[in-house]
Amino acid sequence: MYILAIDSATPVAGVALLRDESLIVETFANIGLTHSETLMPMVDRVLKDAGLPVGQLHAIAVTIGPGSFTGLRIGLAAAKGLALAADKPLIGISTLEALAHNLSYSSLLVGTILDARKGEVYGACFDASQAYPRRLGEEMACSPEDFCREVDHWLDETGRSGLVLLGDGFITYRQKFTDYWGDKLQLMPPHQQLPRAASLGSLARLKALQNDYSDRLLLKPAYIRLSEAQNRLGVGEL
Amino acid sequence: MTVNILGIETSCDETAAAVVQNGRHILSNIVNSQIDIHRPFGGVVPEVASRKHVENIGLVVEKAIAESGLAYADLDAVAVTNRPGLIGALLVGLSFAKAFAYGINKPLITVNHLNGHIYANLLEHPHLEFPAICLVVSGGHTSLLLMQSESDYQLVGATLDDAAGEAFDKVARFLGLGYPGGPAIQKTAESGQAGHYNLPRVFLNRPELEFSFSGLKTAVMNEWRKAQQRGEANVEDMAAEFQAALIEILVGKTMQAAEQYQARSIIMAGGVAANGPLRELMTRRGQEMGLPVYYPSLSLCTDNAVMIAAAAYPKFVQGRFAPLHVNAQASL
Ligand SMILES: [Zn+2]
Repeated sequence: MYILAIDSATPVAGVALLRDESLIVETFANIGLTHSETLMPMVDRVLKDAGLPVGQLHAIAVTIGPGSFTGLRIGLAAAKGLALAADKPLIGISTLEALAHNLSYSSLLVGTILDARKGEVYGACFDASQAYPRRLGEEMACSPEDFCREVDHWLDETGRSGLVLLGDGFITYRQKFTDYWGDKLQLMPPHQQLPRAASLGSLARLKALQNDYSDRLLLKPAYIRLSEAQNRLGVGEL
Repeated sequence: MTVNILGIETSCDETAAAVVQNGRHILSNIVNSQIDIHRPFGGVVPEVASRKHVENIGLVVEKAIAESGLAYADLDAVAVTNRPGLIGALLVGLSFAKAFAYGINKPLITVNHLNGHIYANLLEHPHLEFPAICLVVSGGHTSLLLMQSESDYQLVGATLDDAAGEAFDKVARFLGLGYPGGPAIQKTAESGQAGHYNLPRVFLNRPELEFSFSGLKTAVMNEWRKAQQRGEANVEDMAAEFQAALIEILVGKTMQAAEQYQARSIIMAGGVAANGPLRELMTRRGQEMGLPVYYPSLSLCTDNAVMIAAAAYPKFVQGRFAPLHVNAQASL
């Protein structure tokens, strides 16, 4: 079962190809180029390197948010285009969940946080003691301080003694978080710190095994935030 | 040889897809308009438009192919608008089109939106006389193009600030006439008379081929407040005067360009080209100058993907395909 995973939710662009439980090819770029230019050439390179025609894929996975609004749309539009053209199922997975899967079978509380600009982060807490991370509480857009309180709540609730924070939100507010938790906070190496298409693909495989697919025509990003204009007018759905 | 091109258009607030055969024969034409979604805002909100595009793009494309009666394998290329327009909106169509073309293993063709509007005319009027002056006028554009042939055109004039359609929207919102502003003002103006208010014909006497509509909008607001103070505010008359001023500017500048470049015909395109009084005045002035005036039928005036697929056909014949790293751009 081949899964192609596409992620452009954050400044990272990543594409991975998995065959069953093996990672076959993965590309990762955190180089500040626009996803519009990089993403499809990466898809092409991954499939060519593996010598795999699109028709051989079992499913296509994509991160659906939170993240950069434009990045999410570039990824989802591409995933929909591929899924429709090749008549393959589509699997949409939360960016925060995929990121939490960078670390599995851990007894630490896992917080995943993305830099949401404007002094905020997107974040959620996970129990990563099993293969599929279990989200505790809601995905939220909030200040780093509010996120600290959320994490404290789940540390209390789950009785964990330590935590790890993954994602570019940690990198942006590193000082703040290390000051806040001190030794309780474990630092992760670079290969686990940012979204990885391999993690996304691995979760998507677990979903595919359960026949848990998204609607490839109707799937939409989970922005968490309204647009500025909707906020001002107080109207609209996400 | 039969060439079937799937066109995709998401540059502003319409999610559109169409299949066109040999650049002429329309097999399907699906347009999902977001007018109702943007109405509460009184204009197109780029972020809201982009959100709707990514929700709708798959449905719209699937429907366009289904209605064409073709199988995916019958498609020969995928064409998509990649400029100019709202950048976030363009990126949805472009990203989808790239992946779809890749998925069916067919070439990708990028199309300039304004070129698309020109082809909306060529579809219905295949024997245009060149050189031609083309006025592209919509919520996003007010541009004058000099066309030496179907594929050779250059920008010779544009607006310095608001597009004409944007001016319609802003004035309609100010006068409380609703959205979209063009049809709302045209309808209101039918029961009013121009000349009761005094609005400037901005730039009409200047030699430069430039438009400016933000000053006209400000003049409407000033005249309206003065009229209210006098107790003589009449919305029908104001709508009529505003529409007359805007149309005279558009027609005047187009004729000026036609004279300057010795055009043999005049073409109109874009949503505002659906305005009845604009069509009438342009046609009359054209007749006076001995120039035929062309405009597309109403359904091809506003944004659609038929015109994108049609504009892509000559590029297909010439083998001018786009690479997978091609980007969108907001400007021309
Ligand atoms: Zn247009």
